[in-house]
Amino acid sequence: MGDTWENWSGSLRFSPKRTERPENENALSDLVCRAAEGRRTIRPAGTGHSSSPLLATRDTLVSLDAFRGIESYDPAKREATLWAGTTLGEAGGLLLGLGLAMPNLGDVDVQSVAGALATGTHGSGKRLPVLSAMIAGGRMVTASGEITEFSLEEDPDLTRAAQVSLGALGICTALTLRLLPAYRLHRREWCTTADRCLAHLDDLVDRHRNFDFYWYPRSDRVKLRTMDPPGGAPESIPYARLVEERTGWSSEVIAKVRTLRFDEMEYAIPAEAGPECFEAVRRRIRERHRKHVAWRVLYRTVAPDDAYLSTAHSRATVTISLHQNATLPFWGFFHDIEPIFQEYGGRPHWAKKHTMTADDLEPLYPRWGRFLAVRRRMDPDGLFLNPYLQRLLGEEGT
Amino acid sequence: MRPVGRTVWAIPGGHIPLRTTGPEPEETSSDMICLLNAGDRDAKVEITVYYEDREPVGPYRLAVPARRTRQIRFNDLIDPEPLPLDTDFAGVIVSDVPIVVLFARKDTSRAENAIATTLAFPGD
Repeated sequence: MGDTWENWSGSLRFSPKRTERPENENALSDLVCRAAEGRRTIRPAGTGHSSSPLLATRDTLVSLDAFRGIESYDPAKREATLWAGTTLGEAGGLLLGLGLAMPNLGDVDVQSVAGALATGTHGSGKRLPVLSAMIAGGRMVTASGEITEFSLEEDPDLTRAAQVSLGALGICTALTLRLLPAYRLHRREWCTTADRCLAHLDDLVDRHRNFDFYWYPRSDRVKLRTMDPPGGAPESIPYARLVEERTGWSSEVIAKVRTLRFDEMEYAIPAEAGPECFEAVRRRIRERHRKHVAWRVLYRTVAPDDAYLSTAHSRATVTISLHQNATLPFWGFFHDIEPIFQEYGGRPHWAKKHTMTADDLEPLYPRWGRFLAVRRRMDPDGLFLNPYLQRLLGEEGT
Repeated sequence: MRPVGRTVWAIPGGHIPLRTTGPEPEETSSDMICLLNAGDRDAKVEITVYYEDREPVGPYRLAVPARRTRQIRFNDLIDPEPLPLDTDFAGVIVSDVPIVVLFARKDTSRAENAIATTLAFPGD
């Protein structure tokens, strides 16, 4: 066995037999061919921010650390092709140098572009979809070792599967993203109470380009976070106190640096059920979990998209996420809240903690069968599957 | 102004009540410390929390600017770990400049609210 691999929070550990760091696509292709010949399996690794076992393997783990930077860009089409191992933070800086920016980012930007997009990572904003909706195409090394290009224009079926691929179709080496001209945002954070926030929730969600809130279970306070074009938002929120603000390029103000490590469970709920689901979660935490849980609950909004496995597929979405310090037990808390999310038709974030498997997931995703068909076409022998993915996708026989 | 206080303080009797009655956040049961830094230098403060049955947790780091006060609810601390409610604990507070520390408990477990305050024990 090789060295033990550990994710950011420390809750996921495994020892791959070997960790490979190919320098280029040809070397990666050779690696895939050798694995296929030896009937071994391969999982691609990002930066390890995820806490789900999507990449856990006792066989070969592939790092895409060497695949960094911008391969090409087209200013007229506002598109850029990024190497898969580039982190979102690096990408933001590089794109800004080209006068471009991603339409949105999540709460942190330490993940690799390929890892974040393959797991449906998102930010917040009623009119802003998951990050993978940026994908116009890309390139992957398939199970046969072929270096294949894909695009929405040429192969929409493969591309919509590849937008949120879970790394189960092949190993993405580059992604072509649809971008915006670089833009600035005025980020503000406000304190108020949960009741005041909920009373004005629709207005907050509608009015701001990016809006989310944190609820603090031990005080029932909330922190509102709003981001808007400078000068393009109301001066004040009458029922909230402004506690922090800054204005800057989107890539510099949307994500924050997080040093305190935590584990997280997040579910995507149909937007219309979001407030009621949040109220049920809030009630349950206050009744049962305040003794040990002080971390905030995060409420975000996401626009619908058509990636087959996007957690916002075909529905306007609210996401609600639970957090617990990485040094403390979290499963008891998560297990108790998870059925509430499921009662409201929740889809779990692919990169975070959850307990759902194929039988639970299939009814939630109208294009589940299409995704599996693409997966089987791309990787009939399951070179890119691990036991967790087999259970998750119902592909145990592969 | 001449600094007032000490650099080491101890609170042996912490216990955040689990139950709260009344509207929150105003009536949330809590253990709190009130810090006064009357001096001209910012205070870097570290709190270590002790328990009956396990190793101490900390430091919880915070700052109190010069000539300012700050109130910290133990309920709200999460870095490095939240304190469990309804559990006995003690705190040792170390500052790099003299400060004064008051400990306050608000217990709204029952409708008849109770507030208790005491000066922390100066340790140096």
